Amino acid sequence: MTYRFLPDVALADIAFEATSDTVDGLFETCGLAITDIMVDPSTLRTTNERELSLQSESLDRLLYDFMTELIVMKDVDSLLFGEFRVRVSKAGTSLDAVARGEQIDRERHRLRNDVKAVTMHLFGVKHEGKTWRTTVVLDI
Amino acid sequence: MPANPAIEQVSDVAWEISPSYKQGMNVPARIYASKKLLDSMDSGVIEQVTNVACLPGIVRYSYAMADAHWGYGFPIGGVAAFDVEKGVISPGGVGFDVNCGMRLIRTNLHYSEVRPKIKELVDLIFNLVPAGVGVKGTQNFAQSQMGDITSLGVKWCAEHDLAWEDDPNHVEEGGFIKGADISKVSRQAISRGTSQFGTLGSGNHYLEIQVVDPARYLDKDRAEEFGIVHDDQVMVMIHCGSRGFGHQVCTDYLRNFESGMRRFGIEVRDRDLACLPFSSKEGQDYYSAMVCAANFAFVNRQIIVNQVRDAFSRVFHRDAEALDMHLIYDVCHNVAKVETHSYDGTSAKVLVHRKGATRSFGPGHPDVPAPYRKIGQPVIIGGSMETGSYLLVGTQKAMDETFGSTAHGSGRTMSRTAAKKEVRGAELQRKMLDHGIYVKAATMDGLAEEAGMAYKDISEVVETMDRAGISKKVVALRPIGNIKG
Repeated sequence: MTYRFLPDVALADIAFEATSDTVDGLFETCGLAITDIMVDPSTLRTTNERELSLQSESLDRLLYDFMTELIVMKDVDSLLFGEFRVRVSKAGTSLDAVARGEQIDRERHRLRNDVKAVTMHLFGVKHEGKTWRTTVVLDI
Repeated sequence: MPANPAIEQVSDVAWEISPSYKQGMNVPARIYASKKLLDSMDSGVIEQVTNVACLPGIVRYSYAMADAHWGYGFPIGGVAAFDVEKGVISPGGVGFDVNCGMRLIRTNLHYSEVRPKIKELVDLIFNLVPAGVGVKGTQNFAQSQMGDITSLGVKWCAEHDLAWEDDPNHVEEGGFIKGADISKVSRQAISRGTSQFGTLGSGNHYLEIQVVDPARYLDKDRAEEFGIVHDDQVMVMIHCGSRGFGHQVCTDYLRNFESGMRRFGIEVRDRDLACLPFSSKEGQDYYSAMVCAANFAFVNRQIIVNQVRDAFSRVFHRDAEALDMHLIYDVCHNVAKVETHSYDGTSAKVLVHRKGATRSFGPGHPDVPAPYRKIGQPVIIGGSMETGSYLLVGTQKAMDETFGSTAHGSGRTMSRTAAKKEVRGAELQRKMLDHGIYVKAATMDGLAEEAGMAYKDISEVVETMDRAGISKKVVALRPIGNIKG
C-alpha cells in the first residue's frame, strides 16, 4: 500500500498515485494520501471513529464517492482521519468502512492544504496483474 | 511552448487557430497574448482551447486570455459563448470554485496612516476572517435559510442588515444572478456551505491590504469615478469563492453529466469537458445549482467585507462609513451566464462561460452600475502577493470582440511542489516584510506555494489586454498587508 505525489501533473492542484495489492487497500491508501495533503499525520490522533456505508454504480465511482465523503466530513464535522479499514463488496459497487481520526485542533495539528474536491482528471481504477492502481488529482 | 505553425498572428497581441487545425472544431480559437506570453504559455492551452472549439453550439471563437494556462477541460483564462438553444453548458467551463472572484473596497486612508498599524490590522483581520483547512465561519445561518440566501445574494444581506444599502449596486449582477433553485443543490453541498460563510479558504485565495501605486496611477479621471482620489489611497482586495458549497455542486453535477452525455450522443475530446445541452433538464438543473453557488460566493465575500470594515473601525477608531469603506466593485471569474451580445450581425442571448476570466462590459451597458455607466465596468485583475494587482475598466471593444470578457489574474507557471522546493515560507515572509509587505498565513507551506515566482508577470498580462483594447488600465495597487489561508 503506497502513495506518491505527482508534482508535474497539475500546476495549481495536487495529484497522487496510489497502489495496493488489494482493492480494499487501494481505498485505504487514497484516504491516507488525502489526509497527508491536509495535515501532518504524525500530529493526528485516532480518537474518533466514523462508520461509512456507500453504494455506487461502479468501482471508479465508489472510490470517487469515498474520497468525496472524506472531504465533506472535513468541512461539515471538522474531522480528519489517520486510519481506515475499508471492505469493498465483490461487485465493487458498495463498501463499508471505519475511519478513525479526530476533530481539527489548530493548536496541535500541523495543517497543510485544504482539499476541496476530487477531479475527474486522469481518474480511474486499474487492476494490473496483482496491483490495484489509481491516479487522483485534487482541487486545492 | 515551441513555435506552432498553426498559430497565426492577427495583431501584435492576438493570435488565431483555424478550424482546419483539428477535426471537429466548429469555430476558430483566438488567443490574446504578447509574443512573450505566447512563447511561455504551456502547450496544454492550445490543446484545450481547440478542444473547447469542438463543443456543440459554440459561437464565434473559443478564447484564451493573456493569463491562460492548462486547466480541467477548459483552459484557465478560457472564454466560450454558446447558443442558448443549440449549445451546451459545461461545469469544466465554470470551474470547481463557482464564482471565485474579486472584491475591491476603498478607504479614505493614506498609506502614512496605515503603515504604522499594518501589523495590528492584518493580525486582527486574520483572527476575524477564518482561513485554512476545515475552518468554520462566524456567521451561523440555518440550512432553512439557504434557499433565500442563495437566491438573493447580496440583496438578501442588505435586507438583513448584513450589507450597506448601496453594496448590491457595486457587485456584478447587482449581487445576485437570477435563476437560483436550491432544490437542485445536494444536501452535502448545503451542509458544507452553511458553516463556511465569511471564510477565506486557502490555496490562491487571499485578503490583501493595498495602496495605490503612485508610479502607476494611470488614469486619474477614471480612478476618480471609481472613488480613488489620491495617489496613496489604501484599498482592500478579497479573492475567494463559493467554498465547499460550490465545489460540491461541481462534484455532484460532473458525475451526472458524464452519464448524461451518452444519452444525448455527445462525445468530447477530454473527459473534463463533460457537457450537456443547456436546454436539457439536466443542463438547466446544473445552471440553477451553479447560480446558487455563485450567489453563495457573493454573500461569502460580503460577510468578509463586514469583518474587514469592523477591523478597520477598531484599529482606526472611526466607523467604516467615516472611513469611506464603500465597495468599488465585485467581479466573478468562474461562472456561466446568459447574456445578450451582438455578434455576426445579430443580437442574441448566449451562455457565456468564463473560467478564470472576468467580465469587461463597456460604457453605456445597462448592466454596468449607474455610477460607472458613463465609463464602463470596473475590472479587477489580481496578481501574486508579491507583485500586486490592477484595477481596469471595461470597453466597447471587449463587447465587440470577446463577449465582454478579459483576463483574471497572473496564471501559475510552476507547480506547488516546485515552488516549495525553490523557497521556504518563513524565508519568503521575511523577504516580503523587507519589501514592505506584512503577510500572515495559516501555513508556511501554503505561503511558499503562492510565491510570486510561481506566477506570470501580471503587468505583462494587463498590458496585453490593454493593448488589445479589451480592458484599459486605471491604476495599479501595491500590496502592504496580506492574509493567506
